[in-house]
Amino acid sequence: MSWRVIARREFTDAVQSRVLWGLVAFVAVMIAMTASVPVLIPAMDASALLGLGAASEFAAMLVPIVALVAAYLAIAGERESGSLRLLLGLEPNRRTVVVGKFAGRSAVAVVGLGLGFLLASAVTWLVYGTLPLLAYLAVLVLTVGLGVVFVGIAVGISAATATRSRAMTLGIASYLGLALLWDLIPQGAHLAVVGGPPSGTVPAWFLLLEGLSPSGAYSALVTRALGATGAAIPSTAARLGGDVPLYLASWVFVAILLVWTLVPLLAGYWAFERADLN
Amino acid sequence: MPAIQTDGLTKRYGHDVYAIDDLSLTVDEGEVFGFLGPNGAGKSTAIDVLLDYIRPTAGSATVLGYDAQRDAEAIHQRVGILPDGYSLYDRLSGRDHVQFAIDLKDASDDPDAILDRVGLDSTAAARPAGAYSKGMSQRLALGMALVGDPDLLILDEPSSGLDPDGIRDIREITREHAADGGTVFFSSHVLSQVEAVCDRVGILKNGRLVAVDTIDGLREAVGTGSTISLTVDAPPTGLTAADFDGVTDLVVGDDVVRATCTESTAKVAVIDAVRAAGSAVLDVETHEMSLEDLFSEYTHADEPTLARAEVDG
Repeated sequence: MSWRVIARREFTDAVQSRVLWGLVAFVAVMIAMTASVPVLIPAMDASALLGLGAASEFAAMLVPIVALVAAYLAIAGERESGSLRLLLGLEPNRRTVVVGKFAGRSAVAVVGLGLGFLLASAVTWLVYGTLPLLAYLAVLVLTVGLGVVFVGIAVGISAATATRSRAMTLGIASYLGLALLWDLIPQGAHLAVVGGPPSGTVPAWFLLLEGLSPSGAYSALVTRALGATGAAIPSTAARLGGDVPLYLASWVFVAILLVWTLVPLLAGYWAFERADLN
Repeated sequence: MPAIQTDGLTKRYGHDVYAIDDLSLTVDEGEVFGFLGPNGAGKSTAIDVLLDYIRPTAGSATVLGYDAQRDAEAIHQRVGILPDGYSLYDRLSGRDHVQFAIDLKDASDDPDAILDRVGLDSTAAARPAGAYSKGMSQRLALGMALVGDPDLLILDEPSSGLDPDGIRDIREITREHAADGGTVFFSSHVLSQVEAVCDRVGILKNGRLVAVDTIDGLREAVGTGSTISLTVDAPPTGLTAADFDGVTDLVVGDDVVRATCTESTAKVAVIDAVRAAGSAVLDVETHEMSLEDLFSEYTHADEPTLARAEVDG
């Protein structure tokens, strides 16, 4: 069970280096602030649910960068410094190392995002006086899940790269591509196919394209979770103006998140397994 | 079963850079083997292949009978490793490093006993390793290598960064390990650090093994050799080593004649022959060869070879 020893080491290191507490504080402050924004806008009929919606939209941008920063050096950093030589001297199985690193950094992301989100929920509860518990729990689980997805991507990048700087370059590129710029793809496709920006109802493939990125899949699932708990958010059917096809079922987006976790991890492991470490 | 066996082991980078080239070497169980060579000779590359840090271009290697690439896990369970170019975890204390090694190897060692063995006291062991000197780091890394009572110790430049005390401790640990029937394979670029403990040495140069012998065997080769250097006003012509009994090598330069003699009477014969050839002898120096000379002869053999080529031409 060497992977557990490695995972535990990763987690303790995050505690010792105070990275974990920084993460909790950062996430708590950012989420609490965005969740409270609707109160400040007089025109809005502010509610805790609306605040949650705003917070989740922000989280779709925030969580990826937090998780990437927390994990992109997991292996590449040790490889550049040389401590990986010591580690592999004790545990030569590189798959075990990748699994241990992923598990440890995921635990950091889960605890950091989870605690941060809980603290933010407490603030939100104070601001609005109520808290739709079920909706908050659903978004909490999804947000933590998105964190794990990006830890998978970051550890995959870290396993595939030999230096810190290359890991950072790929990390930034994946953040730009997957979290910030992805929306250009469905928007561009809509412009090309329909001949204008989306307005009113949209074609089903547009929603699928939107949801193919990790942050997109996260947002799709959050929308459904909030809708299911009675928020005044347009449902998928309403946005389509008709039936929801099978490929827009919730489990599809769950599967997309799984794919985004495992494929980078496996690709990174594949490269790491073949690498000369000197 | 040999502790380490390599067969035609080759690691090539790019098209024509050979870090190690056709390395075939056998280290027996229970042996203390010194792996010698100047920096950049390929020692670490060879060790990195044994430890599965890098993969060979050709050839194969086994450690304790296991294939270095396929059975790395079985090997690492029974081998203690002090790699070259490692670094410690800055925030982790010395004691936690040893505990980490014990946990990873699923061993039952007492971390304090290990730390004591490598000469780290409890105050030092409680400090984060980021604040360690090179010597303390080296002691700690050696301690981690000792975890799990390995059958074979592979130490890459264990003496680097250590003061004389540390070097003596390494020797002591090596001897203890060998006395318990264990095998030690260690590399160094300084012969004097290995001659006191090694049963045999292999000398590596430019990725190739140029000599494998016991220390006694090397000593024998050395003991019978001494060099005489004559400073002359003009180079004598027509002299070769074959003209003398007891001269194994004769080099004539512009103003110097150098002969390697296995018998002391040969030195006088060389002087006589040089004077007979019409050169005035301005100075005479004799030099008894040491192991160190032999080592540098193996590893810097380029220069005499060049000189000889010039004379022949």
